[in-house]
Amino acid sequence: MNDAEPLIADILHFIAQDGCTDEQFDRLALRLFAYQYGANAPYRGFCQRRGATVRTVKTWSDIPAVPIDAFKAMELRCQPPLPTERVFMTSGTTRADTRGRHFHPHLDVYDLSMTRNFARRFMGDAERLPMGILFPDETAMPNSSLAHYLALAKSAFGDPASRYFMSPRGIDLDGLWQHLEQAERRGEPYALLGASYSFVHVIDALRAAGRSFRLPPGSRILDTGGYKGQSRELPLDAFYGELSGLLGVPRELCINMYGMTELSTQFYDSGNATVPSAKSGPHWIRSRLVDPATGRAVPPGERGILAHCDLANFNSVSTILTEDVGQPTREGFLLLGRAQGAEAKGCSLAVEEFIRSAAP
Amino acid sequence: MNVHKVQAGYLPGLERAQVQWHTLAFEQDGRRLEVAVPVLSAPQMDALAERVRRAAARHLKPMPVSDIIAVIDRAMARLLDRDDPYRREADALLPLVSGYDAEMVRLGLTGFFKTFRAPQLHRFVAQDFANPKVLDGFQPAAKGGAVRAHGPRLLAHSWAGNVPALALWSLVCGLLVKAGNIGKLPSAEPLFAGWFARLLAEVHPPLADCLAVVWWRGAGDAEAAALYAQADTVVAYGGNDALHAIQRRLPVTTRFLAYGHKLGFGVVSAMALDALKAPALARRAAWDVMRYDQQGCYSPHIFYVQRGGQVTPREFAGYLAGELANLQRRYPRRALDLPESAAVAKWRQSIEWRLPAPGTEGAADHDPLIGDPAAAWSVAYTDDAQALAPTALQRSIVVAGIDALDAVAPAVAGAGAYLQSAGIAAAPDELYRLAEQLGAVGVTRVSAIGSMSVPEAGWHHDGRFNLLDLVRMTEIEQSAEAAAEPFAPYEP
Repeated sequence: MNDAEPLIADILHFIAQDGCTDEQFDRLALRLFAYQYGANAPYRGFCQRRGATVRTVKTWSDIPAVPIDAFKAMELRCQPPLPTERVFMTSGTTRADTRGRHFHPHLDVYDLSMTRNFARRFMGDAERLPMGILFPDETAMPNSSLAHYLALAKSAFGDPASRYFMSPRGIDLDGLWQHLEQAERRGEPYALLGASYSFVHVIDALRAAGRSFRLPPGSRILDTGGYKGQSRELPLDAFYGELSGLLGVPRELCINMYGMTELSTQFYDSGNATVPSAKSGPHWIRSRLVDPATGRAVPPGERGILAHCDLANFNSVSTILTEDVGQPTREGFLLLGRAQGAEAKGCSLAVEEFIRSAAP
Repeated sequence: MNVHKVQAGYLPGLERAQVQWHTLAFEQDGRRLEVAVPVLSAPQMDALAERVRRAAARHLKPMPVSDIIAVIDRAMARLLDRDDPYRREADALLPLVSGYDAEMVRLGLTGFFKTFRAPQLHRFVAQDFANPKVLDGFQPAAKGGAVRAHGPRLLAHSWAGNVPALALWSLVCGLLVKAGNIGKLPSAEPLFAGWFARLLAEVHPPLADCLAVVWWRGAGDAEAAALYAQADTVVAYGGNDALHAIQRRLPVTTRFLAYGHKLGFGVVSAMALDALKAPALARRAAWDVMRYDQQGCYSPHIFYVQRGGQVTPREFAGYLAGELANLQRRYPRRALDLPESAAVAKWRQSIEWRLPAPGTEGAADHDPLIGDPAAAWSVAYTDDAQALAPTALQRSIVVAGIDALDAVAPAVAGAGAYLQSAGIAAAPDELYRLAEQLGAVGVTRVSAIGSMSVPEAGWHHDGRFNLLDLVRMTEIEQSAEAAAEPFAPYEP
């Protein structure tokens, strides 16, 4: 376990820097790759079958990207289990054994990655803001990376008036209305953070009650994660239009965070005045677009499946292959939805329908 | 870019300018095809349904079924003629819309059209009707009295998928039972049904108004409701969700015939695995995998191969991989879009994670994925009787080694409602024993390996009666016959 410590120290230092050169990124990415290649046998096998070894991997984009399904199939970890470790699990399925798991021996790296990035991409000039969280807390969801992310946002960036508005019975709407009224009265900026589907419920409740708010200038909203079948599906444009109209927060300050349980770093856009908005990450994560069948980069400018190389992912694998379709832009990439679940083009049964039919 | 524009659908009684058109675009190798599909309003659909139903009652209903067969046969002769303009258009455009290799489409179409020639169609009718003349008029019934079959006055078809020309099945069935036919084109192959309707009208002009081919977006709206309201029978193809969506919109009195997605598989007995027969068998198996890149309901997803023959299951998987590699050179797989490519990669990787790492003892012999990861086909090998489940299609196939043929039925039983075709290579007694077991768990069709993807004329699609399911019988009971006798003018 100790052999990882100098590496972790360097990663922490790297994240704390104000940026990096391509060479610096490569150097750390290759060190991390060599460490993970050595410490994680299934990953080593995966790399070898692709002809990737410590010797042949010359730059971060040579590092084989592990499909996120692998987090379901096996324990992708370099350090042995610890009683104090945190395990973040993916949601989306009812069967516990098919949830992806990401093991964090400690959260030092995750937390530094989150706070450094959050301060810059969400907080603007503010150091602390009163925050309302539309998501369960860490006690209710100890294995949710999003619950931890939001708890950290609240403890590191929320002022004492910040609180959760999620109860086992759903969103505490009366409490939320009170806090929003208070913010309006005081004229102080307010931040509302939560799952995208929670905001749909808020939109619906405001519409039903015929209410709306005009939050003071500087107020902001962070949504993440999409609807996941937990609410009705709203097209992006309608979603941000409604949010902005009903809460009085300009669309430029409605920020969407794109994160994954399998990563330790998040991506943000710079508001959603127009959708889809470009997402980008901090200097310790890089993304490329690949053809999933070959794992090779798609021609420049073309859409592909997103692969991310996250230097904060020190204990699992730095480089993962998502199921998200991305389109490159100057600022970063556009998310064009999930590639999962190809429909059969003929009348042969496709995996998706079969799985749905087998689901309880 | 070379852009070609065509108009799809077939709308008797409607001028081009009277309806709205929507463009579906297809692109391949720098060629672009724009297909204009008609979007009717509800009143237009209503009027069209009325027109088709009346025309069928007037022109199709009085035609003896043999005459209908003769007309279809003439249309097929045209489609089998490579120089006929219709066939030339099919050969040129269907590869473009479906993305399949042109030569594969050409071969597939020829094989398919051959099953709709007169002798095959007569067999088809005879398969369902002991006396085909019941379609033309009352025939004596064995129990006494007389019986006659009536097809639907208006049969609505909802086609799906991009296997070229698939609409032909249900259209021909509808014609043979003398129904007026209105079909909804699939967006993935919006061409063939319209051509066939036009060709039929050319071959036999009185049929011109007896069928129509339309389109609507997604599950359709008021126009779809207008058609469903007039149809007495609806035949639909597609995934269970799509079928369910249609079913929900139908009046309870409308007969609904649903053909869902299916899951095929093959079985190879040790008896078929000597050094001479196994390679040839693997070649035929590869054809079944290659045809339309496994998009057919009859396409195999897994071959269960018995141990104990001269050739081991693993060697058979190797032969199969070799044949798929050969076929890739002759009939390359269609270009995959991102979701399809991702699905194939996901499937391969789910198998890969079960691998021992290279370098561990015996790893090479146990590699469950045969061939280069970037190849346009995948053969996975497993040593157990893996339960039948879909592969990622696009020429991805599992070979599962089994000890006894009796292991197959339990392995596929879980897929119950999705079963249809089983390709079998086994000795005659094994064939019957297997067919008995497989039929009991839901298999409806047993064919030779190599013929899985070319069902014979008159097969019972999904175990149903293609024609009988479409008709209703009118019976004159003996009592009526007897009671009529005294009223005859010549009776005293």
